[in-house]
Amino acid sequence: MEALRAKVAQLLKEKAISGFLGLKLEHGHPSPFLFTGEEGLDLLVVSDTRFPLTKLLQRLTSKYPEEKFGVMVRGCDERSLIELHKDNQVNLEHLVTVGVACSQELAQRCGCKVPYPSQFEVGEPATGVEGGGELESIEGMAEDERFNFWMEQFGKCIKCYGCRNSCPLCYCSECTLEDSFLVPPGETPPKAPIFHLIRAFHTVGRCIDCGLCEEACPVGIPLRTIYKKLGQVVSELFGYSPGKEVEGRSPLSFLGEKPFKEQG
Amino acid sequence: MRVLAHARGSITKTVIQKGQNQFNPIIIGFLCTWCSYAGADQAGVSRREYPPNILPIRVMCSGRISPHHILKAFQMGADGVLVAGCHLGECHYIRGNYMTAKRIPVVKELLSFMGLSPQRLGLTWVSASEGDRFAAVVREFTEQIRELGPSPLRGVS
Amino acid sequence: MNYRTVLTTCVYCGCGCGLYLEVLDDELVGTLPCKTHPINEGGLCIKGWSAHEFVTSEKRLRRPLVKKDGHFVEVDWGEAMGRAAAGLGKIKEERGPQSLALLSSAKCTNEENFLLMKFARGVLGTNNIDHCARLCHASTVAGLAQAFGSGAMTNSTPEIEEADCILVTGSNTTEAHPLIASRILRAKEKGAKLIVVDPRGIQLSSYADIHVRQRLGTDVAWINGVMNIIISEGWHDKDFIERRTEGFEELEKKVKEHTPERAEQITGISQVDLRRIAETYAKAERASIIYAMGITQHTTGTDNVLSLCNLALLTGNVGKRGSGVNPLRGQNNVQGACDMGCLPNLLSGYQSIASDELRGKFEVEWGVKLPKEPGLTVVEMMEAAAGGRIKGMFILGENPLLSDPDINHVREALQRLDLLVVLDIFLTETAELADVVLPGVSFAEKDGTFTATDRRVQRVRKAIEPLGEARPDWQIICELAQAMGGEGFQYKSPEEVFGEIARLTPIYAGITYPRIEERGVQWPCRSEEDPGTEFMHEKEFSRGLGKFTAVDFREPAELADEDYPLMLTTGRSAFQFHTGSLSRKSPSLRRELDEAYLEMNPLDAGELGVPEGEAVKVSSREG
Repeated sequence: MEALRAKVAQLLKEKAISGFLGLKLEHGHPSPFLFTGEEGLDLLVVSDTRFPLTKLLQRLTSKYPEEKFGVMVRGCDERSLIELHKDNQVNLEHLVTVGVACSQELAQRCGCKVPYPSQFEVGEPATGVEGGGELESIEGMAEDERFNFWMEQFGKCIKCYGCRNSCPLCYCSECTLEDSFLVPPGETPPKAPIFHLIRAFHTVGRCIDCGLCEEACPVGIPLRTIYKKLGQVVSELFGYSPGKEVEGRSPLSFLGEKPFKEQG
Repeated sequence: MRVLAHARGSITKTVIQKGQNQFNPIIIGFLCTWCSYAGADQAGVSRREYPPNILPIRVMCSGRISPHHILKAFQMGADGVLVAGCHLGECHYIRGNYMTAKRIPVVKELLSFMGLSPQRLGLTWVSASEGDRFAAVVREFTEQIRELGPSPLRGVS
Repeated sequence: MNYRTVLTTCVYCGCGCGLYLEVLDDELVGTLPCKTHPINEGGLCIKGWSAHEFVTSEKRLRRPLVKKDGHFVEVDWGEAMGRAAAGLGKIKEERGPQSLALLSSAKCTNEENFLLMKFARGVLGTNNIDHCARLCHASTVAGLAQAFGSGAMTNSTPEIEEADCILVTGSNTTEAHPLIASRILRAKEKGAKLIVVDPRGIQLSSYADIHVRQRLGTDVAWINGVMNIIISEGWHDKDFIERRTEGFEELEKKVKEHTPERAEQITGISQVDLRRIAETYAKAERASIIYAMGITQHTTGTDNVLSLCNLALLTGNVGKRGSGVNPLRGQNNVQGACDMGCLPNLLSGYQSIASDELRGKFEVEWGVKLPKEPGLTVVEMMEAAAGGRIKGMFILGENPLLSDPDINHVREALQRLDLLVVLDIFLTETAELADVVLPGVSFAEKDGTFTATDRRVQRVRKAIEPLGEARPDWQIICELAQAMGGEGFQYKSPEEVFGEIARLTPIYAGITYPRIEERGVQWPCRSEEDPGTEFMHEKEFSRGLGKFTAVDFREPAELADEDYPLMLTTGRSAFQFHTGSLSRKSPSLRRELDEAYLEMNPLDAGELGVPEGEAVKVSSREG
């Protein structure tokens, strides 16, 4: 924690950044905050509570495109920044990331394969969690059983849009989930499965598997397993893993020069 | 999108018109205007028979077919969706169908994971001169859907 | 450049979810759920996610308004306050304090409700103060108080998932209390049995082990029927009845008359289903009843509540973790508005105004004499206004024109007043009838506390400065009180008001701002050492013994007949809230649902030739 504070203090002092987006411990709860001066840095904390910081960052960068910002990143945050950079939503050159390695406990809770960013100031790299427990059990179901499983899960949906609202990669100003032809408005649960499948398809080749969607879901729909599954598919078909490298583009974001099978 | 709304009417109508004994699937066909739709035309002109279960929707390019359209068709109770475009390398828009070729396998996997048979979604390439092929593909696909039976999403929406 | 998040409590329903208002350069830009909050644990419903949207609506009142020649004119605060104070004072002087009435607001903070109560009783000298709880859960307060001695949810929201049987009736929980519904679903996933008794199929009913539909307004009958079965099968908790209750003999006698056959006949629920409900509920270790307006908004509302209490007492399903009788309160602070004594017969903390001792305590603290006779309820006020007995009204953040029964009657009543003062943040339908409109502020612009449905007192924190010339409601009430010569209204902050609340209100006595800084405290909390109360009536009921009340079934006051052949019941949508004063200013919510709609049985619709989506005109005996 001290290392993080010192690093941020230095960045601010050197004017390398105009503000640092991190977590502030206030009223006993950690919450996002933009630190703009050395004062108040004693409230900057590292915690196992996760917020879509890189999503919130976009508010700042779009209002202040010329400013440089610092941001606290975990492994997942860093992956999301890479995808956002490719989508021209943030400019990595205008960002200074300060890495935090997640605790083993958090890594376990998130089922995270890579619970640390490429470089980090705080923490020890935890062991990545392999295997996707729930995903495998769903895959193991018979087709009709799986259909019923999902319809029951989707039937719980209260259409809060929390999955979309928490997703660091959901930045559109017009959202297909709000297309009244595809999803009739004002219904709970929203039309299933289309509501969830539209969102699922929008994550293809982009989802960096942070799991914030599932954390935000009040009714516990295992959304992440769908996106995880599609992630595997994209990786197998196109050899692309979102958030890994700044080079390369998501396979569904361009037409392609050749039929896909010969790619990657 | 309006076309789909129209298709909904046709779907209902077809269900009513069809006989009771045999399962008559409802299939939405998204056909690109340059090749596949022309191929369907060719099948008609050369009097090639194929099952009337397919409701063709003409689009400018198979690449225009977003997964949304496919998902919407299934949500509305379609038993099968067939997407047809130009052969790879022959796209009127040069590379539009490469996108189709990339998307459809992913949609299939998504359907499968949702417990909807991926065989309900077909992808084929038919050129303007392949009337025979179009008829054969539709025959085969219709049989395939018939065997799968009604979509579990029928009656859901 | 600044960006911060301010922890506060959601302003919509009574769940009491914790959320952050995002403030960028001193402007509200978004809402985030609090991840570590005991109620919502990082989730929110769509209303919560868009809680910031209405705050900065263009339609917000930014300056005081005074009606001149039938039109509103923007004036300065001095003039508006002057007119309100002079008007109220004149009526008090000429017609007596009993010709004044006040409506308080379940949307406002505890502090504001307390101040309005103090203003009504201590400055105006009337007990004519009430609020919209009269129309939703007044029967709960009455019924639960009679049975258990305390009119609030017996358990806390997080406990719901620890129940092993949940009986939901008259609550469309996923729509009206989404973050409580999530606990019900979680309980179900942990293996709890879910019973839904609702005339309609609701989202929860697809997850229910037993879902039955009673004929509208026959709740007492099905509950009596279920109790009949429980007693005749010997599934009741004899030990609990013996040790902790009174009045069982009368109940038993009454319930004997309500055979399952009779219950089936009245309610339309089959005897088989009644038996399943009886067995499932009675045999559960920790059964919880969850209800809302479907139970209370009847002419027999109190009977319905008493019946549910009977059922819980009969089976010993109360006073345990996860098990009890749980009314879900509608408004963010309707629990608080009741707690603060914005009721015609009760002071804060449900202390009777008629009691010389209790009233005396307030008189000493405030240095004034308080009226002793109970005042008028909302409904009686409107009646009295229409009859010319009430001449002046002060309405704080309520929209009775839409929320009270019979809009025409309410409009007539309000129009007959000599003076109507409305303090609100929007020019509501009610405010349009006012002579003076005072612009208050939203939850995002002030400090204070809300009390959630599970008696949890939580902080509300100021995120942005008041819009325009609007002022925090608590300040406005204090200024008005002072303008009318009221003393003891010089508070520096809501915290100071809260201190007074705690001094005068035993169930809040141990609660302070520092104690609820991180997490709320649930009342009763009688001292600084008292950790608060997660679930009530553990060792003994608030009134000592739990009291059975034998209840007879009565038909609803209005039944279908030849002239009015259909029954209409009201429902909730997750996308709008109450009269829409707030939610209809929110683009995200309007996009989902912008107008009320009516559902009809397809058979009725077919007979009437009404296709899906058709506009219909609904008329009742009232208009």
